[in-house]
Amino acid sequence: MVMSSHSSFTVKTKTRAEIKLASEERIKNMGESAARPGDRRCLKDIEPRLFSDDGRPEQGGVVELYGPEGTGKTELLYHLICRCVLPKSAGGLELDVMFVDTDYSLDMFRLVSILDSRLNKALPKSSPSAGSDEEALLRSCLSRLLVVHCSSSAQLLLTLHFLENSFSSRPSLELLLIDSISAFYWLDRCEGGPSFSKQEEKLSKCSDLLSRLLRDYRITVFATCHSIRRVQTGLSSSASLSYSSDSDRSYLCRSWQRLVTHRLMCFRQEAANNTSDEAGSSIQQRIQQVFRVHCISSFSSSGSKPYKTNSFYVTDAGVEFTSV
Amino acid sequence: MQRSLLSLPLNFSLRNKLFNAGFRVIADLQRLTDSELIHEAGVSQQDVLELLQAVRGEGGDAWSSSTSLELLQKEGESRSIVSFCSQLDEALSGGVPVGKITEVCGTPGVGKTQLCLQVAVDVQIPPCFGGLGGHVIFVDTEGGFLLQRIEDIAAAVVRHCSLLVEDDEQREGILTFTVETILSNIYVVRCNDYIEVLAQLHLLPDFLLEHPRTCLLVIDSVACPFRHIEVVSQRTQLLQSLGLQLTNLAIRYNLAVLVTNHMTTRLQGSQSQLVPALGELWGHAPTIRLLLQWLNSQRVAIVVKSPDHMEAIVQYQITSDGLRDVDESV
Amino acid sequence: MVFLRADMCPGLDSDLVRDLRAADVKTVEDLVSSNLEDLAHRCSVSYKALYAIRRVLLAQHSAFPVSGADLYEELLSSTAIISTGNPSLDKLLDSGLYTGEITELSGGPGSGKSQVCFGVAVHVSLQLKQNVIYVDTTGGLSASRLLQMLRAQTCNVEEQMEALQRIRVCRLFDIFALLHCLHTLCSDSSSSSSVEGGAVAAAVAAGGGGVEGVSLQQASVSGGSVKAVIVDSVSAVISPLLGGNHTEAMSLMIQVAGILRTMAKDFNVAVLVTNHVTRNTSSSRSCGTDVQPGLGVSWSHIPRTRVLLERVEEAGTGIQPSVRSATLIKSSRQPCFLREEFDLRFWSQTKTSTSGKRKREESDS
Repeated sequence: MVMSSHSSFTVKTKTRAEIKLASEERIKNMGESAARPGDRRCLKDIEPRLFSDDGRPEQGGVVELYGPEGTGKTELLYHLICRCVLPKSAGGLELDVMFVDTDYSLDMFRLVSILDSRLNKALPKSSPSAGSDEEALLRSCLSRLLVVHCSSSAQLLLTLHFLENSFSSRPSLELLLIDSISAFYWLDRCEGGPSFSKQEEKLSKCSDLLSRLLRDYRITVFATCHSIRRVQTGLSSSASLSYSSDSDRSYLCRSWQRLVTHRLMCFRQEAANNTSDEAGSSIQQRIQQVFRVHCISSFSSSGSKPYKTNSFYVTDAGVEFTSV
Repeated sequence: MQRSLLSLPLNFSLRNKLFNAGFRVIADLQRLTDSELIHEAGVSQQDVLELLQAVRGEGGDAWSSSTSLELLQKEGESRSIVSFCSQLDEALSGGVPVGKITEVCGTPGVGKTQLCLQVAVDVQIPPCFGGLGGHVIFVDTEGGFLLQRIEDIAAAVVRHCSLLVEDDEQREGILTFTVETILSNIYVVRCNDYIEVLAQLHLLPDFLLEHPRTCLLVIDSVACPFRHIEVVSQRTQLLQSLGLQLTNLAIRYNLAVLVTNHMTTRLQGSQSQLVPALGELWGHAPTIRLLLQWLNSQRVAIVVKSPDHMEAIVQYQITSDGLRDVDESV
Repeated sequence: MVFLRADMCPGLDSDLVRDLRAADVKTVEDLVSSNLEDLAHRCSVSYKALYAIRRVLLAQHSAFPVSGADLYEELLSSTAIISTGNPSLDKLLDSGLYTGEITELSGGPGSGKSQVCFGVAVHVSLQLKQNVIYVDTTGGLSASRLLQMLRAQTCNVEEQMEALQRIRVCRLFDIFALLHCLHTLCSDSSSSSSVEGGAVAAAVAAGGGGVEGVSLQQASVSGGSVKAVIVDSVSAVISPLLGGNHTEAMSLMIQVAGILRTMAKDFNVAVLVTNHVTRNTSSSRSCGTDVQPGLGVSWSHIPRTRVLLERVEEAGTGIQPSVRSATLIKSSRQPCFLREEFDLRFWSQTKTSTSGKRKREESDS
């Protein structure tokens, strides 16, 4: 009995691979001919409020969102997903997004509720039968999102190789999100043993592959990176003065750092209506958490290093920027 | 999810050899004969043995699993050690439990050591009198183990038992339950610093094999040797592994573990507060935490933490015979 | 990194594997990233055959993208919200623990973490009739307390015993034992067949376990499925590492996190872990409270929802020692810093008059 269930299991994995191959074929046919780089639109205006005017990410740009837990990185990614997958009538770009989830951080329910409220806001309820229409609309938005889970850096590398097909066959697939690129950092460090180059080998390979994909298919990458040291909480208000402080320096490998064109530093800001903080635990009223994001781009058309700071808070409808 | 080789307790050199040979997850080892493995990874026969042991999950990191029903039956069989203060015993539903860590915290002179001595004697009460008839290891780090005191307490307990004699078995039992036997069944270990304490605990499994009747381990106090480790991170790490080690001993060898701890002052804003020493992280190690303190010139014991009991405050007093209830006339 | 083997895919025979090895292509990864034309030339094999092998291997070993719509559909049908049994906590957690997620309870000693865990275990096993796996790393699990809680909810002894039977307790006091235990839980119970190779290979194939009835799959076969995995406490086994070799400690911590997340997603269970707290000694009050969950920054990303438990300290006489406050400090569904109070005696209270605790004391005396 054990034998039979085992063999059925192997059969299952084999068929999974076959399904993948078949659907790979299907995707290819769908795109008819291979996409030319010129076919891709520019994602420059994916979120103008994050970037300075002359420092928006070009095609092939890599944006790193950097910050500790609870600074709104994943919320920003949801915002970007929504910007891309929403129909043009709802203020979106109608593009496909690939989400590489290495942290199991994607909360589908949260994403759906953001999409829902944005759809509702943009499209006023017209007919009584709008319910099913909305459902279909939501579904069509969601089908523009592709999610892939990776559980090791080796798998990430193989998956990026595998995704090359998708990029070449789907010209509307322009945005690659990775949450997070630092997920396997400690595992790689430990697996590499004493050799430093061995520790960084996997991520280097991923970065090299990504850089080729960026060049060949002109996609844009947003990746989150967790900070690994605790930032002094007292410093958060004065952090604006020391963006390039030691604790914020990227710890990932060189080839990744070379790839990054923009860094978005995420912070948690003091609540605006912070009233009584006396007993430490007597926070009864709901505090509006404000997040701050500071963008540094490594190069721009004008040659200088432009930067921009913006703040946002999180509502049921996702990220709301405080200034335009 | 594939299991990484990193999740195995392997030594550094073996692990590096395996990774350098390109092995990463445990499944990579599959379908290799042992000689292929030796050849591929450049490891020795000895290494293969270690690897085998690690993959099987043998050695120090073994784990056990049972349903909570089985656990309940086991708990029903395990006993508690009475303290001779009936209110305290009631608050702990029977006394100091076997198989768990109990911590006693308090300021100097409130009676921590007295409680330890009392329990060390009580654990030896023969089964025919409803006791455990167990032996004791007493790790003394403060020099608080006074022979005179334990003799007094032992004499009082023997006297108490001899008054209870009713049947033949008990008449037989009381003959071998004397102050001398009580003293000879307490193994006192003096430790001057934390290294000695840790070394002692490391050797304990061997001792327990030789003395299978041991069912109480007392450390009086755990605070004294560990308090003065200067580097905080080192202290935390040592204390955390001490906690795990004690839990392991308590459960695997079915020991009652009784430790004492000091109090320290914590400043919180402008207020200062007396809290148990050794930091908050250590506080997770003991299963039961008792706080001994003075309340209106009366000694009270507070059950601060316990999975089975609600918080309770009970009074106790210390007499020449040992720990007793307050209303009991001397 | 997966080694190339002769039977991995059609077209890859042992001769080719040997030739590839000679060309320094040992793993799937090597093959996928190497220049195929060059390689075909060196191994004297056709480019087309090599390309086909690459394609199959890639499909076998890479993760597969799923459409967001399908994912949502699947989540809608599979996600369950497991009530904690306590209305205040349910309110805080937006009606309970979500399957597929890790929820963390943090708090100081005696803040009621274990009590909440017991309460959840009892609720899931008695009211929902589902299995629970309780990983106890502190020795704090008390089956008699579970029984107390059960007695408060039902007088039927048979039901009580059945509920206790559904709570499986794993006791371990070591990080490697935890990893071994969690991997055994996740392992495919039917994989112990067709053993080739040596003793190590056999041990690997056997899942290393040999502990019966603890695979999540197996447990779900024997009536009811595992809906909750509780690890109390996760910090007890991780925090002793943190003062030592940092990289080593971090990698072990991330592995625990990884396997817990996989477990939550793949087996669709709610994972509840407990953590200690650290105190800010400096007087900076910027983050509202002066206590933070332990285990540092890298762990902070792991739980989807974090709840801080504290004693409610009232100055003066009116101390209610069993009242605790729960503060939501991380959530993707509810606003943070939401706060609820609850009484630990909740789980001892019966609908009938006598409390379970009193009953127990009577039976003991």
